Amino acid sequence: MKKEMLKTSLILTAYTLIAGISLSLVYTVTQSRIGSAELENIITAMKYVLTDENGNQVIPSTEIEKTVTEKSGEMGNVIYTDGVGTVTSPVYEYENSGVKYYVLSGYAPGYGGNVVTMASFKYDGDELSLYAIKVLDYSQETPGLGAKIAEEDNQKRFYPIPEAGLSAGIKVDKDAGKQSLSPEEAKKQGVVKVSDVMTGATITPRAVSNLLNAMYKYLREEYLQGGAD
Amino acid sequence: MSSRWKEVTKGIISENPTYVQVLGMCPTLATTTSAENGLGMGLAATAVLIMSNVVISAIRKTVPEKVRIPIFITVIATLVTIVDLLMHAYIYDLWKTLGLFIPLITVNCIIMGRAEAYASKNGIVDSLLDGLGMGLGFTLSLTLLGSIRELLGNGTIFGIKVWGKAFNMFVMILPPGAFLTLGLLAALFATISIKKNEKAKKKANQQQAQKAGEQ
Repeated sequence: MKKEMLKTSLILTAYTLIAGISLSLVYTVTQSRIGSAELENIITAMKYVLTDENGNQVIPSTEIEKTVTEKSGEMGNVIYTDGVGTVTSPVYEYENSGVKYYVLSGYAPGYGGNVVTMASFKYDGDELSLYAIKVLDYSQETPGLGAKIAEEDNQKRFYPIPEAGLSAGIKVDKDAGKQSLSPEEAKKQGVVKVSDVMTGATITPRAVSNLLNAMYKYLREEYLQGGAD
Repeated sequence: MSSRWKEVTKGIISENPTYVQVLGMCPTLATTTSAENGLGMGLAATAVLIMSNVVISAIRKTVPEKVRIPIFITVIATLVTIVDLLMHAYIYDLWKTLGLFIPLITVNCIIMGRAEAYASKNGIVDSLLDGLGMGLGFTLSLTLLGSIRELLGNGTIFGIKVWGKAFNMFVMILPPGAFLTLGLLAALFATISIKKNEKAKKKANQQQAQKAGEQ
């Protein structure tokens, strides 16, 4: 009886050992590849948020790739939070014929977890406006409802927003009580019209709006004040 | 060969894992808000099911009866983690879409169920075919469920517009829609099997009557 127990536990140990070793092997092999895949993903998103309405990139790809790779070491630290939205490092800064572009990443709580978004802001020395956004992680949002934020056309409802809208604070149309506005009309007032395309899912777009507000506050109140300009 | 072929096809209707065996309900109900999600979950589970069936069938003679469940779980969890890591590294875009479902596969009881009921008692080739058949059945069931929910809830199938917004029943995308659709489909599959049995019985009776007449 005792002998059998010992044998059984030895077999079980052997199996878990083999499983552990094979997992560590696979992990070692894939780790660097996962890192570069993640970096690739950030570069792709950044190219997307630095593209104008005609489909032309405002910053050349080589410059984006160089900047992202250089700053990959300082990724993911919290640099600002307003209690709802959190901005993470680094802030990427680009310039094209006198106009500056800032690309920020961050997160805000959605329905099931944090919604991670990348956003670019355009600064001509006077006006700071929201240029484009790309939602990177919405995996905890309800499929068919909040997860609809993945659709490009829905994300386009968030930008561009002029400074007048940003300083008033971005709101989803339901919270602002302005569901009757057209999407373009709404943007001018800092209102994101999503109630027609994301019916029943207000929490996810609200998370993105909250984050964009935190990003704007950070840029205006800290980053652009701190002599970085 | 025909019996081997049967190993594959039994999972699609007669032993359909979702509607007949009622296995793996958690991912079935949770992920079928659209046809694409259903298909994705089904394919990911199929891949793991085939691998786990093969591995478990290969090691079945060395596994002591008493600790077979922990060993099966270890094998399945290891396979799922390996698949997750490999997909993350080499097919990032697909991983991003399916990322949510992959850890869920570990707790999918179809995989555990087939390991226990089939792979631990049969040879490697048969287990592989069983995994393929059950996986296909699961994938088709989820795609069907997802398509119906997406069509009734959003007016689209695989994102392709079928009809206008006015027909959308919002509830179909929410959890109650999953239960409603699943129940109706399970009833459909039960009807199919009842009709099949009745037909077989009728045929047998006729044959008997014929025999009796000849005598």
